[in-house]
Order: sequence, then C-alpha cells, then structure tokens
Amino acid sequence: MSADAFHPRDAEAAEYVIGTMDIAARRTFEHDLTNDSALLRSVRAWEARLDPLADAVAPVEPGADLWSAIQRAMAGQGGARESGAEVVDFARHAALRRSRSIWRGAALASGALAAMLALYVAADRVIPGLAQPTLVAVVNRSGELPALLVRIDARAGLVQVRALAAETPPDRSLELWSVRAGEAPRSLGLVETSVTRAVLPAGSASLLQNATIAVSVEPPGGSRTGLPTGPVVYTGKLVSETP
Amino acid sequence: MRLSTVDLSALIGRTARGDQAAFQELYGQTSAKLLGIALRIVKDRAVAEDVVQEAYLKVWQGAASYSLEAGRPMTWLISIARYRAIDVVRARRETLARTHEDGLDPVETMAEPRDREAEFIERNRLSICLGQLDESQRRCFLEAYYDGYSREELSQRFATPVNTIKTWLHRTAAALRSCMGEA
Repeated sequence: MSADAFHPRDAEAAEYVIGTMDIAARRTFEHDLTNDSALLRSVRAWEARLDPLADAVAPVEPGADLWSAIQRAMAGQGGARESGAEVVDFARHAALRRSRSIWRGAALASGALAAMLALYVAADRVIPGLAQPTLVAVVNRSGELPALLVRIDARAGLVQVRALAAETPPDRSLELWSVRAGEAPRSLGLVETSVTRAVLPAGSASLLQNATIAVSVEPPGGSRTGLPTGPVVYTGKLVSETP
Repeated sequence: MRLSTVDLSALIGRTARGDQAAFQELYGQTSAKLLGIALRIVKDRAVAEDVVQEAYLKVWQGAASYSLEAGRPMTWLISIARYRAIDVVRARRETLARTHEDGLDPVETMAEPRDREAEFIERNRLSICLGQLDESQRRCFLEAYYDGYSREELSQRFATPVNTIKTWLHRTAAALRSCMGEA
C-alpha cells in the first residue's frame, strides 16, 4: 500500500482497532465496514501493523473449565438458532398423529425398536433465495411430545438436535444416522444433551435427500466402528413438507 | 509455545470443516494469549474468561469465512477477542474499578522478534516508529490499545480535553502509518 492511497477514514480505522470509540460509534463504524471494502482493508492493515503490540502481553492460562463451557455453549447455540418460527406445528401433520412409539427402555437390549419419524423439508426462511433448504426432522413419540426434533441446516452444514422426550439409557449415548438404500449409514453426531449441535460431515448435505434418519443406542461417546452397533430405537423416512 | 502461521491456518481450516479436535487444538495453542489480552482490558478474570469464550464461539462460527486477507491467524484471533473485550468494557465502564497500570513501557517489554525475517523487520519497525513519537501521545495510543480505554477515559488519565486526545490518536495513527509505510 503506498503512502498516498490511504482511506480518508484511515485515522478512524486506527481508532476502531485500538478501541477508543464508544459503543454507538463502534456499531456505526462496523456497519460502514460492511459496505466499504476499502475501509475494511484499512482496518486489516491497522490490525497487522499493531499486531506486534500483542507480543508484550503475557499469556494467562485459562482454567480447565473454560473449554467445557465453550463446548456447552456450542451445543446451546443449536437451540438458540432454532427460532420459534421454525417449530413445526405437529397437530397439522396427520402422519405424526398416526405414529406409534414402541420405545421401551427395558426392552432396549433385545433389539431394534422403532418410532415414527417424519422429516420436513422447509424453505430457508432466514435468507430467501438461497437454494439450499433447511431440513427439519421430528422424531415423534405416540403423537405426544416429540422425542427429538432434528433440524438440518444444509447451507450452514449444521445438524441441530433437540431432545424433547427422548430417553437415553444410563451409560449409553444416542447416535444419529442418515441411511440411504445401498449405502453405509453415516453418523450425524450424538444426541448428548437437551440441545446438541453438530456439523454435517463434508459433502453429506446432498446425501440427505431421500434418506432415513435413525437413532441408535451406542456406547458412551458413540459407535467406535463408524457404523451403528446398538439397537436402533428411532427410525423414520424423509418426507417433504411442501407437496 | 507458538505455532507458525501455516499451522494455525490449517487448524482454522479444519475448524471450518467442523473438526472439533482441530478447534480444540487451536484453542489450546491460542487461548492463553487471548485471555492475557482480554484480562488486561477488562481487568476481571471471570469477565475475561467470558470474553474468551465468546471469542472462540465466534471463531467456531466464523472459521469458514477466515482467509489470509483477514490477516495472520493470530492477528485475526486477537482482533476478535480484543473487540469483544472492548465492547464489554465499554458497556461495563461505570461499574468497573479501573486500576492503574504498573508503568512498564510496552515498547521495552515487547517480546523478542521471532524467526521470520519479514516479521522481525515489521516488529522492529513498529518499535522504531513508536519510539519516534511524542512521549504522551505514544503512551496515550498504547494505553488505548492495551487497556481498552475510551477517549473519555484517556482524557481523564492524561488530564487533557477529549478533543485533544482524539487529535493525538489521529496524529499518532498518521505518524505510524507514514513511518511504517517506508519499510
């Protein structure tokens, strides 16, 4: 960058980087940054220029629980992203009311149990015009409270699972799979807490079309073989919400 | 222990693809630095840890958008944490008891330049350019950077009108820019 090519607001960019503006001015400046790539380059240049200053700051080791807190928050974001507008109205869907749960905790070890699952394909309501859809799976239980609500955001590559009434046997993990005829099941992650957020394996978003979602009971931490090893307790077929 | 730009870039790239092990390694390699920086600004351990937590959540969400255009990986990570810390400290300013610093000259305490020659020159260059500034204006600029002071807080600390502080900051920026532009 030559000395005469600086943005007219370069001094402001420097102030933004060192942080002397008040909150309102920072927000205004950040808004301007989204429309002004030259101004953004100014900010990046200041960040790089002043980067050596950070060398003088002594590192402080975080407590061991900070990483756990970050992981919990990562899981929690799944719930936060699931806005009320995207909650499916179960009563409108006859398929769900017809569902039958044969989930029996005591019978788990004896083999597969199935519960009805319906998967809805909904247009992305957040950013209209994006081609990739958001998929919502409702894993139902006797037409009552659904056991699981699975939301797949193909655009962001995220799987979000809300365990509403799913029962996890003690000392076991529930693992979520996508299954397509003639293909090996692909793990979509564990159902660990009331809200779980996982990242779709690369390239798997397109493989969800016409897939079946299955939930299996696995050793703590999930299957160690990459394939379901325990009883499948919930399965269901994908259906499209729109005709 | 510090990883090279390439290693951190690779970890960010894997994080962008959802690799939680890579993300944890990135955290392990960089979190102490980010906490040190945040702590210096917010001056409260619990608040600083919150800042670092939010910074890494942002990294997790934003890793896919990272490119070298956004700066070296460490620069990018530090910026995320610093901006969050500054936002927090602005919002909490009234309730925080700001402590005075130890008076160490940050230029003197700046760590030894590292292996890469270009970085060495850059770091040296910044030290030299800072050294050429008027003492008060240099301290004002550095205290803003390290402690996250607002113009108003700097005005009190330097017993100087806010408008003068702003002039100092802008003058320092112009001087550094032109001094470092010659490198």
